[in-house]
Amino acid sequence: MKIVSFFSFPIPSGDAVLSEMYREKGISYPKFFKMDILSKSGFLAAEEVLGAAGLRNEEPKPDMGIVLVNSTSSSADDVAFQRGLKDEEYFPSPALFVYTLSNIVCGEIAIRNRILGETSFYIDSAPCPERMIRYVKWTFADEMIKKVLLGWVEVFEGGRNVTMMLVEKDSAEGEDFTVEYMEKIMK
Amino acid sequence: MEQLKEQLKRQIIEALNFEGMKPDDIDSSAPLFGDGLGLDSIDVLELLVLLEKNYGIKLSDPAESKRILQSIDTMADYVAAHRTK
Amino acid sequence: MIGILAHNIYTGIGFGSRKVYGELLEGRSGLALREGVFGVPDPFFSSLFDREEIESAFASSSLKEKEPLTLLEKAMALSAADAIGSASLDASSPRTLFVISSTKGNVELLEKDPAGTSPDMHIWRSARKVASLFGNANAPVCVTNACASGIVAQICALRAIESGEYDNAVVVGADMLSRFVISGFQCLKALSPHRCRPFDAERCGLNLSEAVATLVFGRGPGIGVCLESGAIRNDATHISAPSRTAEGQLAAIESAMRGIDPRTLAFINVHGTATLYNDNMESVALHRSGLDGVPAVSLKSFFGHTLGAAGVMETVISALALLDEKVLPTFCYETCGVDFPLNMASVQRKSAGTRFLKIMSGFGGINAAALYRRNEK
Repeated sequence: MKIVSFFSFPIPSGDAVLSEMYREKGISYPKFFKMDILSKSGFLAAEEVLGAAGLRNEEPKPDMGIVLVNSTSSSADDVAFQRGLKDEEYFPSPALFVYTLSNIVCGEIAIRNRILGETSFYIDSAPCPERMIRYVKWTFADEMIKKVLLGWVEVFEGGRNVTMMLVEKDSAEGEDFTVEYMEKIMK
Repeated sequence: MEQLKEQLKRQIIEALNFEGMKPDDIDSSAPLFGDGLGLDSIDVLELLVLLEKNYGIKLSDPAESKRILQSIDTMADYVAAHRTK
Repeated sequence: MIGILAHNIYTGIGFGSRKVYGELLEGRSGLALREGVFGVPDPFFSSLFDREEIESAFASSSLKEKEPLTLLEKAMALSAADAIGSASLDASSPRTLFVISSTKGNVELLEKDPAGTSPDMHIWRSARKVASLFGNANAPVCVTNACASGIVAQICALRAIESGEYDNAVVVGADMLSRFVISGFQCLKALSPHRCRPFDAERCGLNLSEAVATLVFGRGPGIGVCLESGAIRNDATHISAPSRTAEGQLAAIESAMRGIDPRTLAFINVHGTATLYNDNMESVALHRSGLDGVPAVSLKSFFGHTLGAAGVMETVISALALLDEKVLPTFCYETCGVDFPLNMASVQRKSAGTRFLKIMSGFGGINAAALYRRNEK
């Protein structure tokens, strides 16, 4: 297993910086602005990682999976949705509710890039390389899957940052998919 | 009426996050779905919330909602006749 | 292939899989109209836990609360304890892994903590607290794939054991309802105002319910039913609407069924939420995979949709039915209301088939399928 490309960025505050990144990249995908901060973050990281690997396109990808991990799930959206449930002003937002499922970010990336394989969202106490490697190995247990887009996508309070990488099962090129290398790029 | 249409357009742009769009970019008679603004099923639900929140209009029959949400013109007609706030 | 060693179901209608299965055979559903519950403006149809009963059951159990547990965590612990006990499993072993399936965990805590600052908000914390009650020090696996989570968690267990990393897995599916969850589904206009009617022409939405369920897996034959294979696929078409051509579910089914004679299937336990689009998508998937003639069962009109618990609980019920050579009824089903009719009935039937297929799908374009087999007698 090799890491063929990776991308990492901190999210200082709010999502203005994400819109800026979107514009700088010259992306044209109006649905981006409908996304929550978790999906925007995952989406942009996937653009970079798949772009670097020459896979940022709309070709169907039945051999690619997605494994995303964070520790707070969709908490940022949960807090926002709960705000719409006040007794005096009860207006729950359907669009926001959909994003209170953390795996929606996997769906957004899958739609944009036609990723048709296994997609899963795991919740873990911290970005633990050993366990992230395990989730990827489990995904490769499905013989259809040859590539996995792996990411730590944390956007709630505290350590807000995103690290994403493309892991290929049978690639000869790239960095070895090891705990040591993961520790290096996830700093 | 024109003022109401302008207001509805502003509210829709904000509620549905149409980045960079201005009220003038929306044709009042153009369909909101399909070839027009290309709204999807979740957008429809957001428009229902918008009508309730801003105009006190509660729609529950899907067929009726579909008729009312055809275009800015049809929305404005309905809002003008049925608004409670 | 991994064996089901033991199981538990905990719902408002009872504690213990056998008890709940017995109620189902008698047709005594817990679904009822709830008004004024959780302070949501509109009434909804649901089967709910008796919250005081969970508290008292936990207080009188042998489980020792080391740190404060939420009601959901207590229900998880009680369910897991029952299954672990009947499997005579050493759950403290480093070779045992806990796998948790939940969509919204302790989201109810936001009512008192609107900024979401409590660490108990996070499902990995709940998972650790529950695992530590059994002396298990491994970091549990928490997977959240919307409504398909319960099958995805079992597929994790399959891989954890087949890879040799672990000998046993305790899979707990759990979700409880709250103002948050009910309001969300209500604003999506997804809830039926009466008891839901999967695949029926009159269906108009789902019922939301509460449940916790546990499956203990290992290498032995256990109760006589094993999990053979499973697959997860994405539609990549829309974040909330299922694919009209059922691409993802079709691919998941084809992968789980690879090399399997479909005539060995006793039944297919579908997701069958009774929303217009889900049920129709499943009919398309089963038609395209050539499985539309196999008896199909939806349990949603008995239990309601129990979110992260659904995949685990429905697997337990289906395994018991497989052992009993029964095809369970799909309650409230009368007239086919999907594009491709399935072999579905509102009455109980017999089948000597040796396998069942379980399928689920959810928001985010997710689809999952898992195949189970009864051991030779």
